[in-house]
Amino acid sequence: MREASAHFDEAQGALIASGVWHAEAASALPNVSGKTVRILDGAGVAELDTNGAWLLLTAARPRASDPMPELRAFQPQHLAMLNLVAQHAAATAAQTGPHREGMLELIGRSTLVVWANVVGLLGFVGQLFLELMTLLGHPGRWRWREFGTQLGSIFVGAIPIVAGMLFLLGVVFAYLLGDQALQFGANIFVVDGILLAVMREVSPVIVAVLVAGRTGAAITAQIGTMKVTDEIDAITTLGLSPLAVLVIPRMLALLIAMPLLVFIGDIAGVVGGMLVAQEQLDISYSIFRDRMVDVLELTTLLVGLCKAPVFAVFIALIACRMGLSVTRDARSVGANTTSTVVQSLVAIIVLNAMFAVTFVKLGI
Amino acid sequence: MAELVIDVQNVSTTLGGRSIHRDLSLSVARGEVIALIGGSGTGKSVLMREIIGLLKPQAGRIELFGQSVWDSTSEQMNTLRRRFGVLFQDGALFSSLTVEDNVATPLFEHTDLPHATCRQLARLKLALAGLPPDTAGKRPSELSGGMRKRVALARALALDPELLFLDEPTSGLDPISARAFDKLIRLLADSLGLTVFLVTHDLDTLFSIIDRVIVLSDGQVLGSGTLAELKHIDDPWLRDYFAARASEGETVHGN
Repeated sequence: MREASAHFDEAQGALIASGVWHAEAASALPNVSGKTVRILDGAGVAELDTNGAWLLLTAARPRASDPMPELRAFQPQHLAMLNLVAQHAAATAAQTGPHREGMLELIGRSTLVVWANVVGLLGFVGQLFLELMTLLGHPGRWRWREFGTQLGSIFVGAIPIVAGMLFLLGVVFAYLLGDQALQFGANIFVVDGILLAVMREVSPVIVAVLVAGRTGAAITAQIGTMKVTDEIDAITTLGLSPLAVLVIPRMLALLIAMPLLVFIGDIAGVVGGMLVAQEQLDISYSIFRDRMVDVLELTTLLVGLCKAPVFAVFIALIACRMGLSVTRDARSVGANTTSTVVQSLVAIIVLNAMFAVTFVKLGI
Repeated sequence: MAELVIDVQNVSTTLGGRSIHRDLSLSVARGEVIALIGGSGTGKSVLMREIIGLLKPQAGRIELFGQSVWDSTSEQMNTLRRRFGVLFQDGALFSSLTVEDNVATPLFEHTDLPHATCRQLARLKLALAGLPPDTAGKRPSELSGGMRKRVALARALALDPELLFLDEPTSGLDPISARAFDKLIRLLADSLGLTVFLVTHDLDTLFSIIDRVIVLSDGQVLGSGTLAELKHIDDPWLRDYFAARASEGETVHGN
């Protein structure tokens, strides 16, 4: 095979090509800008494909509206190739590149996306409420099996990670708190601190964050993939409601699983604290238990537990809605899954702050 | 005989304990338009995946352009891959890229042309595949099934391959689009001098654009030849296959 080569003959106004003309031959083209190519000579061309033909033609006439150069001494099959490409050359004219967004446009667009998410969420809540009303009238349409499956993966599957995380956080809390308390000889108050921190704040928030990352992302990815493969449409066509079949079982499962997980987290956190108290602060298990019975109020536990279902509803709403709003490509599944986690985390932090203010105002 | 583009010798395949091909051999010469037919589960798609180097057969030898597919280094294989294009059954377009970038991807990866030139060449391929210019900026999800097939064909043609593999190119298309697609393939095969290897169930494709048909049955090549030659083979599946066409023709006449 011969290397592609080409040179421009000034006297004839001819671009003379030879060798093998494939896509790689582009570098062999001489610079003919500003000159008029009247003749394209292909006597020495050994091979020519559509990419090669396009390169030669475009060099000879940069715009498809320019007059066609004379094609000289090409082999018949190469001539046919050039003519085929020339027919379609107009379509390859360079179009304006993708529009680049300025800062202002970006801010505006993002604001619209956030607004659309808020409005979309409200609309989704409305639809879901109507669906729930219908389901209350027809108890036979509840999807118990789906509910059971979801409860299994959301609750049972999350127990080890929740227990492990909260146990370690309990250890860290007790250790740092004990370090300070030791200086004042106020060891015993470490028990009060751990109970309050773990049950009221740490366990509900950490469990919600874990569930948002673990279950929320999974729900969006699953429903989103079903959307891409038309499964959601199939469910609708079978006369079923995707909300009743997919969304409500997941939401209910989350609603039940979350408080249970928070309770497990409470226990694990306190156990972690107990261990450190025993090792570091000479507070034996029995003293810890006695102190716990003295200072632990039921409201501390309940305040933590009552946050859980609220977080659960928001995570489920966000995850299911983002799943259903996936468009038909792989990238949007990824984008919506990310968005679910971000929206859920923001919702958890904001809700938790609202709870804190409310409880203080109520004096709880 | 002309130069062999595809040469499959004594290939045997077992998948999940089930024997798919037993000592199967076939060959395709340069410039031929070949159809591979056979009942469901006779291993047509499996054979195609083996020829293009996606699935390794248990035994046998497969050569493309005289070079063994399964004894090549990955570098040799990459050089080989530039010489053939594949159209997958449902298009397999990259859903996160625009149509234009889908077609330009092989050019981006395998040539050192500037990206602007790659995109222009991509638009040339789209025009050759019969798509209007405004398709270029769209996403695959915005296109109809027939248009997606055309985009996939344009992508398979991006590097001007000498050999084109098509897995059920007309499945899922309406008869009018399917016939137009057939004509397009034949036109491209004739004008670009392509060798085409297609797996199909579409009888109309067989009757309109195919030079030679290879029939797979029971893990082996049952027969190979023009449609007229195949009608002389006495095989129950093949008889039923062509009978389906005959009765279809009668119904049309009846109406």
